[in-house]
Amino acid sequence: MANFEISVAHLYGNLMNTYGDYGNIIALTYYAKQIDVAVNYHLVSLGDNFDGDNFDFALFGGGQDYEETIVAKDLKIKADQVRHYIENDGPLLAVCGGFQLLGHYMVMADGTKVDGIGVMDHYTTNMYDDKLTVLNGKRLTGNVVIKNNDTGETYHGFENHQGRTFLGENERALGTVISGNGNNGMDHTEGVIYRNVYGSYFHGPIFTRNGNLAKRVLATALSRKYPEVDWTEKLDQIETETF
Amino acid sequence: MTLKSTLARVTAKSSYWLLHDVLHRGGTSLPGKLAVSIDPNILTTIQQNFDLIIVTGTNGKTLTTALITRVLQAGGYTVITNPSGSNMVQGITGTLVTAKVKPSPNGQKPIAVLEVDEANVEKITAAMKPKMFVLTNIFRDQLDRYGEIYTTYDKIIAGIKHAPEAVVLANGDSPIFTRGDFTNERKYFGFNHVQPADYKPAVAPINTDGILSPTDHSVLKYDFITYANLGKYFSTSDNFARPKLNYQVTSINDLTPKYSTFSIDNTPLRIEIGGLYNIYNALTAFAVGREFNVDSEKIKTAFESNAQIFGRQEALHVDGKDVTIVLIKNPVGTNSVIDMMVTEENDFSLLALLNANYADGIDTSWIWDAEFEKLHDTHIKAVATGGERYKDLRVRLKMAGFPDQAVYEDLTQIVTAIKALPTEKVYIAATYTAMLQLREQLGAAGYIKGGF
Ligand SMILES: [Zn+2]
Repeated sequence: MANFEISVAHLYGNLMNTYGDYGNIIALTYYAKQIDVAVNYHLVSLGDNFDGDNFDFALFGGGQDYEETIVAKDLKIKADQVRHYIENDGPLLAVCGGFQLLGHYMVMADGTKVDGIGVMDHYTTNMYDDKLTVLNGKRLTGNVVIKNNDTGETYHGFENHQGRTFLGENERALGTVISGNGNNGMDHTEGVIYRNVYGSYFHGPIFTRNGNLAKRVLATALSRKYPEVDWTEKLDQIETETF
Repeated sequence: MTLKSTLARVTAKSSYWLLHDVLHRGGTSLPGKLAVSIDPNILTTIQQNFDLIIVTGTNGKTLTTALITRVLQAGGYTVITNPSGSNMVQGITGTLVTAKVKPSPNGQKPIAVLEVDEANVEKITAAMKPKMFVLTNIFRDQLDRYGEIYTTYDKIIAGIKHAPEAVVLANGDSPIFTRGDFTNERKYFGFNHVQPADYKPAVAPINTDGILSPTDHSVLKYDFITYANLGKYFSTSDNFARPKLNYQVTSINDLTPKYSTFSIDNTPLRIEIGGLYNIYNALTAFAVGREFNVDSEKIKTAFESNAQIFGRQEALHVDGKDVTIVLIKNPVGTNSVIDMMVTEENDFSLLALLNANYADGIDTSWIWDAEFEKLHDTHIKAVATGGERYKDLRVRLKMAGFPDQAVYEDLTQIVTAIKALPTEKVYIAATYTAMLQLREQLGAAGYIKGGF
């Protein structure tokens, strides 16, 4: 039995888990176990209540268009709860579709506009949008490397998205694109940081390939629950997987 | 036959002869290309010579096509089929224009059984009208190329719509195949080996695609699941449920890594290959055979007398090691391979090889959707990793609880890698181009006859 534990909510994990997103929880659990922390997994899906006060971390992954439209409808019912969790500094990783749906709206490849819940300030056009001056009509697919401007850390991953996301005024990028395309292929931003929310288009998945980020988020989650312990110091003592 | 089409066929055949018999090179794309350049309507013209069956889907196309071929041959049909890997329009054209079509011994028309890439179905049916579409399954596969499962199915549907007279024979256990607004007659095959008293209503595990009911968009429940999202499904809020099956597995007796025994429509059968997923392939071939009036006993004989066609799962010996090579290419396929390893009674080692070239899928994130954690339920004694993306795979297996791994950055060390494993039984799981490289190395070292 571990001496500490955290609860993880996998938002729509049965519907929004298209590119190995669950790997982020595998990585988080891997590091947690080494510092005597158990991770309790909870699926929060269609029709379920999301009480953010019960959770120390949430993952919201990407899905296929059809599943995403179904999730978007259900998410509206949870919007206030998600907003409460985020504004309360709850740690959250949102990947691809999950990242998009937390913003104002997203437009699918066929032009269908899907409402996000607007708890964050970004929006997502599709790849045919007139304002795109580069790679119009093309999916952004390939390896991507970014630099986190807050920490100087470099993150590696793989992107594969048609949606083009533009950040809002009170949002900053997870990183500046060193190679690849990032949020929209135009402004060199990739992902988002807002309070303790990290958004990204990175598959890989991001925590598996970038252990430094996984540890940072894990430390944030643990420090909220167990502020008396120096979690960063504990995590510094175990090996970090980055590749 | 017009002069143009005759010329097209002669040119294709002579280029095929040049490539195969003189230069000893494989491939049917070039003859196909030549034939089409001379007569763009060549496919339409030659179709009068045979009936056509199109086999498509994500996993199992090659083996299913080979099994259907043997089953129909056992029923007295002359069968033309395309070699594995030639499943795009040019390769298929090459196969058809160079084939020698003899009359069927049973007096029926010869049959072309074609494995067709999902995105190429429409290109084929624009020119030829099949008698039957055979749909195996649609799983997430190499999304960087084709997109999502519904997009893949839409491509197949576009092909089906060109041939409304064709029967669509589909896997009834896969919810996606109830979709589609085509008017063709539909028939289904599936598993019914569990008695109602043993039903345990459940939902699919979280890492499963295609689990929403197309009618009310609720998460489907299952009386039983065979694997992934396949099984006897139903919606809890309306009447949507698995369709009535025309052909069904009625019992499963033995599941071992080397063979399976089971019954289809109460005919006892045996196939010389492990894995529940291969029973689906056999079921598909059985259903096609019955649709073409091949009797059950002949199908049984076809399965039992053709052990060598189960070739994708290759067994060979490397200096006292009993090595089995399996292809992995997507999460569902990999999970099926792991399920098969659960039935392995001997201690074994696993050498896993990952590449990310175009033919493998350039996005490696799928390895996180495969349940390597389940290897702890097997008699596994050692894990080694390699391939061009060995770093990804090393971390995947490390996080699955296998911290001690031999890591091979370079497949030239493959024989060394195999010999270093502690058990006599060795499984090698490799993605497509890693498997080609592996075979090349084993061929050069003399472990595969005739090299590659
Ligand atoms: Zn994505």
